[in-house]
Amino acid sequence: MAVTKEEKYPSPKRFDIADIQVSRESTAVKPKIVANMIKRAKRPLLITGGQLLKDEKLVDFAVKFAEKGIPIAATAGSSRPLIERGVRPISKTYTLHQITQFLQDEEFQGFDGQGNYDTVIFLGFLPYYLSRMLSSLKHFTKITTIAIDEFYQPHAKFSFTNLTKDRELYHSMLEEVLQNL
Amino acid sequence: MFELKKGAFVLDELKNVSIRIGRVVEEEEEEWEEAGPTPKPGILELRKWDHTLLERYEPFYAPMQDFCNLCTMGPCDLSMNKKGACGIDLKTQKARLVTIACCVGASAHTAHARHLVDHLIEEYGEDLPIDLGPDVNVEAPVMRTVVGIKPKTLGDLREALSWAEKEIVKVLHSVHIGNEESYIDYESKALHVSMADHVGMEVADIAQIVAYNFPKAEPNTPLVDTGFGIVDRSKPTIVVVGHNVMYARPISDYLEEQGRIDDFEVAGLCCTAHDMTRYNQKAKIFGPIYYQLRVIRAGLADIVVSDEQCIRADLLDACKKAGVPLIATSDAAARGLPDVSDWPVEKIVDALVSGKLPGVFLPVPEKVGQVAPLVAEAVFRKHGGERKYRFFEDDSAFREEIEKCTQCMNCVFTCPHSLRVDQGMAHAQKTGDVSKLAKLEEICIACGKCEQVCPKNIKIINVIMRANYDNLYNKTGKTRVGRGPIQDTEIRKVGQPIVFGQIPGVIAAVGCINYPDEMKSIVEILEEFLKRRYIVVTSGCHAMDIGMIKDEEGRTLYEKYPGNFDAGGLVNVGSCVSNAHISGATIKIANIFAMRPLRGNYAEIADYVLNRVGAVGFSWGPYSHKAASIATGFNRLGVPVVVGPHGTKYRRAYIGKPWKKDRWWVYDIKTRQKVFIEPAPDSLLVAVETKEEAIVQLARLCIRPNDTSAGRQIKLTHYIELHQKYYGDLPDDWHLYVRSEADLPLKQREELLKILEEQYGWKIDWEKKKIVEGPIRHYDAGFNPTIVEEVYEKYTRG
Ligand code: SF4
Ligand code: SF4
Ligand code: SF4
Repeated sequence: MAVTKEEKYPSPKRFDIADIQVSRESTAVKPKIVANMIKRAKRPLLITGGQLLKDEKLVDFAVKFAEKGIPIAATAGSSRPLIERGVRPISKTYTLHQITQFLQDEEFQGFDGQGNYDTVIFLGFLPYYLSRMLSSLKHFTKITTIAIDEFYQPHAKFSFTNLTKDRELYHSMLEEVLQNL
Repeated sequence: MFELKKGAFVLDELKNVSIRIGRVVEEEEEEWEEAGPTPKPGILELRKWDHTLLERYEPFYAPMQDFCNLCTMGPCDLSMNKKGACGIDLKTQKARLVTIACCVGASAHTAHARHLVDHLIEEYGEDLPIDLGPDVNVEAPVMRTVVGIKPKTLGDLREALSWAEKEIVKVLHSVHIGNEESYIDYESKALHVSMADHVGMEVADIAQIVAYNFPKAEPNTPLVDTGFGIVDRSKPTIVVVGHNVMYARPISDYLEEQGRIDDFEVAGLCCTAHDMTRYNQKAKIFGPIYYQLRVIRAGLADIVVSDEQCIRADLLDACKKAGVPLIATSDAAARGLPDVSDWPVEKIVDALVSGKLPGVFLPVPEKVGQVAPLVAEAVFRKHGGERKYRFFEDDSAFREEIEKCTQCMNCVFTCPHSLRVDQGMAHAQKTGDVSKLAKLEEICIACGKCEQVCPKNIKIINVIMRANYDNLYNKTGKTRVGRGPIQDTEIRKVGQPIVFGQIPGVIAAVGCINYPDEMKSIVEILEEFLKRRYIVVTSGCHAMDIGMIKDEEGRTLYEKYPGNFDAGGLVNVGSCVSNAHISGATIKIANIFAMRPLRGNYAEIADYVLNRVGAVGFSWGPYSHKAASIATGFNRLGVPVVVGPHGTKYRRAYIGKPWKKDRWWVYDIKTRQKVFIEPAPDSLLVAVETKEEAIVQLARLCIRPNDTSAGRQIKLTHYIELHQKYYGDLPDDWHLYVRSEADLPLKQREELLKILEEQYGWKIDWEKKKIVEGPIRHYDAGFNPTIVEEVYEKYTRG
């Protein structure tokens, strides 16, 4: 179920108004759907970004994802707060740019050698930086990409709407994803 | 014997026939070095090198749009790799766009060089010798290597220029519809034209150094004032902006001649400012390109003189609104203004001072030199010497502006940095405290996009600047004047430690100012490396911003670290065109330290740099096309480049896959074998998100296959330490770089050996504390790597 004209969720508007002529736009989704997609995934991967260094709350949520058994590839230094909280990311050194390149290779066997990932979830990125990586994955792979940042990401396959205005709603949505995992 | 000389000849017997002899090739010049395989290369000559590089460093594409609308068959939907009406697929179309971007960048520098060289030859004659100081014998390393010439005079530069111009046109031709089918070949063309860019830059900087007597490879150039608060506001102020000092220089000449230089302030923005300070150290640097609207709206300028590149396209409009007259000088940016070249000086001055014309186009440098000061003085007097900031009339107007905000967030959704203007406004509305808005000033690039979408017409830039008024107005710093090339003697001294790895790396921070973070992040990143005794080199906008940030004791990095090209040195080479001295320095290491011949020998030199010289480019805030071609030119030379997050918008990167073991190999000239190696460096162009990530990536990309044990140990120590400091743990890939126990950091040796045994299954002889089995390869002191077949054959022959 995509987000429709429901009161609760703000509209899926592009975060950068001039950004992107998009042929296939992301489906804005509710937390439950996100949880279901992650549950259905054979090889899910959560990639965390540099905004975890600025936002303690995001670290809390990433830790909870790890506790639910989702492997984390930490980028941009986001491994540090996670390690401090006892999480062991499966990748720490590579940038999102590099990981996106790896994901596009059919021979990539994942960070554990068990095979490539079919569903990748993104948390804690600068919106414009993530947008480019999602675009790359959209055009050149079949991977299901799910953006759970506070910005609507038009290039993702699935994305939250724009939640920047209502942080509480955003956090409650992340909470809901986790509860349903 | 009849000897041909330069000039025009009329042969009596043949009427109406004249012969012009251009350059007379002198024998001596032919003999300076044996010509290598690729002098004046065309698109194909280095294609093999490119393909070798690109097989390892695979192009990565991140499209901005799913559509293409480059021609009238389109627009075409290229999403999910559909093809356009012309038959092109998405990757190839993106590679074509990158090629176009690199052509734009290369032509910006090369046209700038052409402008300068033609003008300077007229002024100084073509025989003006190229003398870059007593310690610079390898005067033009890029030209020597690429073009295969050793220029001796200003006139000789034309040969290199003609080559570059020809190549740029050829590459540009290839982006027309129905040309190239392969994205790899487009990349090869992008690499080619970007190599030409470095030739263009070298020509431009050498020409201005010799003609204008800029510092010649001097490490201890003076410090000049930098920042928003540098000018004495009781003097008329002339603001120059752009990238070609040719038009601004006569201003300081005229004022010096009149003995009035101290009665004026001559301050600039962007690279013209850089180069003005190289010409006359009384000139000052306001800051980089994004200070344009700030300076103009603040009412700091009495006249603005623009030339070419990196100038706002609404400069005239901005000047008009602030009542500041504008002189446009370059044919690259005539700004719709009337050409007043033939007018007498008085008439031009009168038109500008009276406001009859808001600006003029005056492409005559000498006249600009006279007009600008006269206008500045008159305008200054007109205002009664009264210089008020003009962001807002008074405090209450400022408050009223803030009150207008409804937190609709249109600005946030338009801002390139997604700055939370709404939150700053809301906080100020509620509490009266503008500190949240003030904080935005450090990231805001004053682009003005937000103002256009604000339904309340709030002057957001002014609000942000006013909120940080005290800091902004008191911002002063020091920038070391651009020194130009690196001395041969400096290269001789550091060549070995760089190649062997005892100097852990050279970090070259160059490019624009689209930082994802506060400006001070660039200083934080670079100081980490300066303290660790890397060599840090800088130029352009990055070099200016470094000069604006002070530590607690009020000192800038330029005051804390020396300007020589040595461990722990902070070297400002100069403006954007001075970047050629950075690529030139890596070439000089191959030549002066390793005695590799340069003449037309590009692939061998680039291969040398890739395998041995631990240099990494860094552009924390890239955005211009020039930055794209500069970086791509470094890539072809085997220098990896790390860019900030906005760099992903170039759409293309070169990222290797360290887990693909068969991609990482070299020929070892010593053992005459193909050897599998560690993935070092594993990317040629990669974007990072945070300053922490920038630091770690820069350190890891300094590692080279040819490091000695001592060198590898030092590089690995820094990499591991930085990774632990910023990422909280050991790197994922540190073991890949270990060839023997001697490569391991001393302090952690035992602990790391244990990890190698337990986690990676290596065999360790614990008695001898030796690695017995495990590494990708073992260390061999005579290891002599190359990935170029011809180089391998050349050195294994006989
Ligand atoms: S250049 Fe090709 S892809 Fe682009 S609009 Fe024209 S036909 Fe379509
Ligand atoms: S002027 Fe500053 S706040 Fe406005 S859009 Fe540009 S960067 Fe953002
Ligand atoms: S666009 Fe204007 S009114 Fe809307 S949040 Fe930004 S400053 Fe306020």
